[in-house]
Amino acid sequence: MRDPNKKPTPRPSPETAHYWQAAREHRLEIPRCNACGQFWFPPSQSCPHCLAADFSWMPVSGRGKVFSFVTYHRVYHPAFAKDVPYVVALVELDEGPRLLTNIVGVAPDAVACDMPVQVTFDDYEEGVSVPKFMPRNAAAE
Amino acid sequence: MLETLRAPAIEPSHELRDTCAIVGIGNSRLGRVPGVSSHDLLVEAMKNAIDDAGLKVSEIDGIVCRGPDESYTHHQQIGARLGINARFSTTLDNGGASQILGVALATMAIKAGMASTVIIGFGRDSWSRTHSSKEANLRNETRPDSQLAQEFGPEYGYFGAVSAHAFGATRHMHLYGTTRDHFGAIAVAFREHALRNPQAQMKKPLTLAQYYEAAPVVMPFGLLDCSLRSDAAGAVIVTSRERARDLRQPPVSIKGFGSFNNLRGWFNDDNMVTTAAKNSGAAAYRMAGVGPDDVHTAQVYDCFTYMVLTQLEDYGFCQKGEGGPFVASGALRMGGRLPTNTSGGQLSESHCEGMLQVVEGARQMRHAYPAERQVANAEIALVSGHGGNQVCHSTLILGRA
Repeated sequence: MRDPNKKPTPRPSPETAHYWQAAREHRLEIPRCNACGQFWFPPSQSCPHCLAADFSWMPVSGRGKVFSFVTYHRVYHPAFAKDVPYVVALVELDEGPRLLTNIVGVAPDAVACDMPVQVTFDDYEEGVSVPKFMPRNAAAE
Repeated sequence: MLETLRAPAIEPSHELRDTCAIVGIGNSRLGRVPGVSSHDLLVEAMKNAIDDAGLKVSEIDGIVCRGPDESYTHHQQIGARLGINARFSTTLDNGGASQILGVALATMAIKAGMASTVIIGFGRDSWSRTHSSKEANLRNETRPDSQLAQEFGPEYGYFGAVSAHAFGATRHMHLYGTTRDHFGAIAVAFREHALRNPQAQMKKPLTLAQYYEAAPVVMPFGLLDCSLRSDAAGAVIVTSRERARDLRQPPVSIKGFGSFNNLRGWFNDDNMVTTAAKNSGAAAYRMAGVGPDDVHTAQVYDCFTYMVLTQLEDYGFCQKGEGGPFVASGALRMGGRLPTNTSGGQLSESHCEGMLQVVEGARQMRHAYPAERQVANAEIALVSGHGGNQVCHSTLILGRA
């Protein structure tokens, strides 16, 4: 039984193992179709744009913008009690796909839709790093 | 959205319009019903619907339900409790859109000659489950562990339906200037309705100031933007119009239905702002031969306040982006342009994943309520169902027979 005061860690499936391995090395990589050239997320074994099964894991820019976001005040899991209020966001990468994530390095009330953001990695524990996003201006400093 | 669809155009069948009717309506005890399983709550609602129709249970030859997620062949377990065999029996899997789809499937089965008299129902025990332990209450989760996300969610502190819908609310506020005043107007209107409904869970009046005072949950949603946790069940019985004439109650005509499913996902395209209600509603309007101006009352799937606002836009009661001013105008109150969720809805009556919306829509068409609860001269009711990770939608249009 996992310590309830530790944050849940992702339990990868065969389709997502590569994604989390790259994240562990602080690289953001997502599937890109070798037939039609489009990216998609979450990872799966065939392209949802053309159904081709031939794809590559491609590093992406890590740049995007906040499509939408919410601020958690309620604690649903004890490991997040020290984090509230925290921001969960849907970030649209420059490459197109949208990722669920946290916005960090900024006060929750300063987050806005369409805000430019840049990926950063949060090392949860040995072998587990989670991609998060921070305002792009702050990332440049 | 439809633009991803390249299938040939279709025309909903006008031949189904007004061919079947709801002839029995029932619900279980609502709210806190400890010690009673969801199956038994559903059978309680079904028995009430059967008695209401003046039928014997042996005259029911069809069952359509949507089970609790962990219940295998749920309809079989319900049939066993009812003590019947059935010509047509199945369980649907479209979340909160299932209950209207059940009415639609019943109509299709009857017209196809597969059954004569179909009972549709749903029951849940969410109050009891979420109050079974401190942990269950904290998690506020009624699905089995096997159906919960293992990644791309919990590691970010993202839990449950509240956040998914709140994403839509934030985006709508960003695009159209919608405010929490607008969400509050919805909560206040439905509470007014609940106070006239003796079986509603919420018994106290609500002001906009109290709406703002409620605890923040996942902003922009506070506690009163969120639907209730309920033990609740509802059921209706559908049969042909011919057979309906011989039964006890004035039949409620099934004028049209529709569905649409934005299976590409709530996070994709513009689905969290323009929902599947748009295409589902268009299909139902075409089958029924009516439009939004013909609708006198709406029973809308109100898992969260924002979902009411955006569906009202998608159904054409106002333009996209104008839902805020529309609800703030008092349109949803009794005597307003479109009295909505007239029993109190899932925000203030009880949350039964859309089944009680069907029940209330049908009751409004009977004109049997006392004047304070009856939408005066209502001839057409629109009912909506929404669920399945926010992307499945169904629409039912009912009328006076």
